[in-house]
Order: sequence, then structure tokens, then C-alpha cells
Amino acid sequence: MRTIEYLTDPALGPLYYPGLVTAVLVALLCAPLSVLVVLKRLAFVGQGVSHAAFGGVGVAVLVAATTGAGLFGPVGQAVVGASCVGSALMIWWLSHRDRSDGGRTTRHADTAIGLVLAGSMALGLVLHRKAGELAADAGRQAPPSLESVLFGSVWEAGWPSAVAAAVLLVAVLGGLVWWRRPLIFWAFDDAAAEAAGVPTGRMRLVLLVLLALAVLAAVRLAGVVLATAMLILPGMTALELSRRLWPVVVAGFGLALASVLLGLVLSFEAEIATGPAVVFVQIGMYAVVRGVRAVRGASGSAASGAG
Amino acid sequence: MPDSDSTPSHAITVDAVSFGYPGVGDVLDRVSIDVRKGERLGVLGPNGGGKSTLLKIIMGLLRAKSGSVHVLGMDPAEARRTGRVGYLAQKVTADLAFPLSVRQVVAMPAAHRASPFGPTPKTALDAAMAALELVGATALAERPIAALSGGQLQRAMIARAVVTRPEVLLLDEPTVGIDVEGQRRFGELVEHLRRELNLTVVTVSHDLRTVATTSDRVACLRRTLHYHDAPAGLTPEVLREVFSHDVEAVFGSGTVDGHGHAHD
Repeated sequence: MRTIEYLTDPALGPLYYPGLVTAVLVALLCAPLSVLVVLKRLAFVGQGVSHAAFGGVGVAVLVAATTGAGLFGPVGQAVVGASCVGSALMIWWLSHRDRSDGGRTTRHADTAIGLVLAGSMALGLVLHRKAGELAADAGRQAPPSLESVLFGSVWEAGWPSAVAAAVLLVAVLGGLVWWRRPLIFWAFDDAAAEAAGVPTGRMRLVLLVLLALAVLAAVRLAGVVLATAMLILPGMTALELSRRLWPVVVAGFGLALASVLLGLVLSFEAEIATGPAVVFVQIGMYAVVRGVRAVRGASGSAASGAG
Repeated sequence: MPDSDSTPSHAITVDAVSFGYPGVGDVLDRVSIDVRKGERLGVLGPNGGGKSTLLKIIMGLLRAKSGSVHVLGMDPAEARRTGRVGYLAQKVTADLAFPLSVRQVVAMPAAHRASPFGPTPKTALDAAMAALELVGATALAERPIAALSGGQLQRAMIARAVVTRPEVLLLDEPTVGIDVEGQRRFGELVEHLRRELNLTVVTVSHDLRTVATTSDRVACLRRTLHYHDAPAGLTPEVLREVFSHDVEAVFGSGTVDGHGHAHD
């Protein structure tokens, strides 16, 4: 087992700890939110927000190349965070129902996301290239590779990254606990929630901001492209396991945690990148759950047919 | 009566209300309707006649361009937000994929403002059980919402609409897509709730039979108010005026003729 060798090595082991802690925190942070993301069909919104993070990374590496501030320091994280929340707000604003005509015209979120996604990917690529040139000219450290930004590089994370993930964990879980009742009511039944006095516009905003904060954390683990896996697959699999709220939430936590840990083991053993390894494990878990259900369903109907 | 905005005997007063959407023109034109406490009012009109808009104004979700609206003597949005107005939508708008029990769903309007610390308050859970008992569905309380049949789901949704013990119940096209037997049962259930909870019931519908058989008074609405009295006084002329060429379709099996004759 390479995993045990690496992690217990007195010289190498401690280098992995910040990444390990970050990965666990990201899993715990994304798990409950992923249930709502799946139910509220916000997967594509998450995709838009995470790609918007790439635009933010572009700006952050440019700042890093010109001033020497680190990408993973407070300045860099603030820039990327601002682009996540900013893009979530822009998606909200672009797709928000315009009430001046009684809701007769609605701009749909997917159109808004298409715009934000393409725009920030374009911006991120241009700025990343520019930052590379500037850093070389100034003799500063080159920005992280495109690959690590796009697909994640959790082992490059230092303790500041783990601290950032802990702060985001408290913010996201705190927000979910604080707003859980109106949030679930609104997500479950928009019209009835509005009639009962739930501020539905505010709930939409709350969910998008929480989503943006979770994406910001998940990008560290799985990169811009794969971050949404963390925000979809644990919830998607958990919802296959139960039709009760708390079992689904608990299963979501368990699945997210297990997939991250197994993913890290897989990445050590098979020597593949961590982001893709976690995604493979998550897809595998979903496939197993669906497979078991299909087999049970088939044998159940066969049994009842025989009986 | 017109200046009795908030007299205690009235549950709802709509006074000379006009409303329009930009580019569409006025949907409601100086409409005045009053609903007495405990009364069953049916709002009848063609699609696009302004029924839904009127309902949204009574709920305080839309603001009238002119005129005034009072529900239980207060601002309509205030009455709705404080749980005094129950609302049942035409279709089930809920997402049944949610992993929620019937009791959790029914408790929602009574629980969503509770403190975020601690579990759902007992008062809300008790209110949910009481509401389920009123609709004869206590046995469903712990079932997942996705496991209900159509009829059971409708009962759960009605229970949710009255969980805050409202004084006014608004029904938006409640019998669309329900067979005759289902309509009868629904009518009985609403009547049972009305007696138990002293409800004022407003039913919006384009279906004459629904309105005529379940209302003390009828308001015929097509941009303006065409009629506002007991259903027995409805004449084919009034209905023709409101529905124009749709009369045959609306009357269906000639129920209206029956009413007209009975009254003559």
C-alpha cells in the first residue's frame, strides 16, 4: 500500500496533511448542499459558478505575477471567491423573474450561465497566459499550471488552504442550518412557500451564495472542471438510498467523505491525479447503488411473478 | 356597503380595484367584491378574465394599481404572511422527489419561521397532525410524500393549506383534471373544513358546475365584475356576456338551463 507508506513516512507524510484535511473539509461542506443542488436542479448553475472561478483565478494569478501576492494567500482567495459569488449573483440577476409585467417574461438560468461560463473561461485563459509572461519577466514564481487549475491539485494546498476550507465549511453549514426550514420549503414548493410568506427571492439568493462558497472550496480539491462533481454526486447517490430527509443527509455526508478518502487512496495507488480519482469513485458509488437497486427490483418482480 | 372597508362582518373587501400588466392593458377594471365571514364565494370567469390576478391581489402578491383591498380588516400581504389565509394551488406545484414525510410537508407553513436552533417546534408538529386529522389522513403522516396516490396527495395539500388555522381559504381551480367522484369528495371535504374551522372560502374556477354547487354567492369576472349574487340568479345572458362564445362549452350538459328554469 503506497498510501500507508507515503502518509507514515516521517519526511513525506506531513506534506500531505494539509491536502488531506482540506479534502475532508470540502467533502463535509459539499455533502448536504449537494442534496439541494440535485433536488433543485442547480447542477448547471454550479457548473457556471465553478467555471467563473477560472476567471477569478486568472485575475488572481495576474495580481500574483505583478505584486508577488500568493494565489493561495488571502488576496488570491478573496479574488477567486469574489468571482464565484459575483457570478452566482449575476446568474441570479440575469435569471430573476422580472415582476414589472407579472412574470410573463422569464430569462432562464441556463442562458445566463452559458454567458457567464464562456466569458469567464475566455478571460481566465487570457489572463493566465499573460500572468505567466509577466511572472517570467519579473523573475517571480510561475502561476500554477492550467491543468492543476482546471482539474485540481489538492497536494499543492498548504495549511492556509485548509484554514480557508474550514472557514467556508462553517459558513456553508451555518447558512444551511440557519435557513433550513424556509430553504427546504421554498425548494420543495415555490408557490406554496410564497403563499405562506417565505421570502422566496431571498431563499434563491441564499442558496446561490452558499453554492458559490462551496464551489470556491471544491475547486481546490477537484479543479474548475470537476468541482461540480462534489456538489452533485454525493446527493444524487444519497437520494437513491432513502426517501427520508435525515437518512439522506447522513448518507450524503458518508458518501462524500468515503469518496474523497477512497479517491485519495486510488490516486496514490494508481498514481493518477486526485480530482479525477475522486470523481471516478463517486461515479462508481452511484453505479453500484443503481445496480443494486436494479438487481433487487428485478429479483423482487421475479419473486412476485413466481409467487 | 362600499365604505365598509374593514367591517368585522367582512372577510374580504375589494373596492374599485384596477390592475394591468405593461403592454397587455388592464386585466381588472374597477372591480368591487365583498365576501362575508363564513361565506363561500365562487369567482367565475373565462381563462384570462382576471381571476388569477384577483386571487394574487387578495393574497397581496400583486399590488392593485388603484382601489383598495382588505383581508380580515388588514393589508392582504400581512394577512397572508401571518397564516390567516390558506391557499391551495390548481396543480400540485411541489417537487415530489424530495425525501420528506407527509407530516414534515404539512407542518411547513407552521414551522418555517421557527427558530433555527433546535428541532421543529412541537406546536407545528401538533398542528400538522391536527390538520391531517381534519382531512382524515392521520394514517399517512409518516409516509414519504412520494408514496401517496393522487387523492391522498390532494388531502395532504389541503391539510397543509389549513395547518395555520386560517380564517380564509383560497382555492385556485381546485377541480381541474379531477373526475366527478373526486370533485364530489373534494367538495365535501372543503365543506367539512369550513364548518370545523369557520372558514371563509373563495373558489376561483372557470367551471360553472363547481362554482354553482359549492358557493353561496358567485362573482362573474371578465375584466369588470358582471355579476355578484347568489348562483340561482345567474342567467344565460349573464354567462353569455362573461364567456361570450364559450357558453356551450362552459355549460357542458346544460346545467345552466336547469338553473334558469328552476328560477323562473
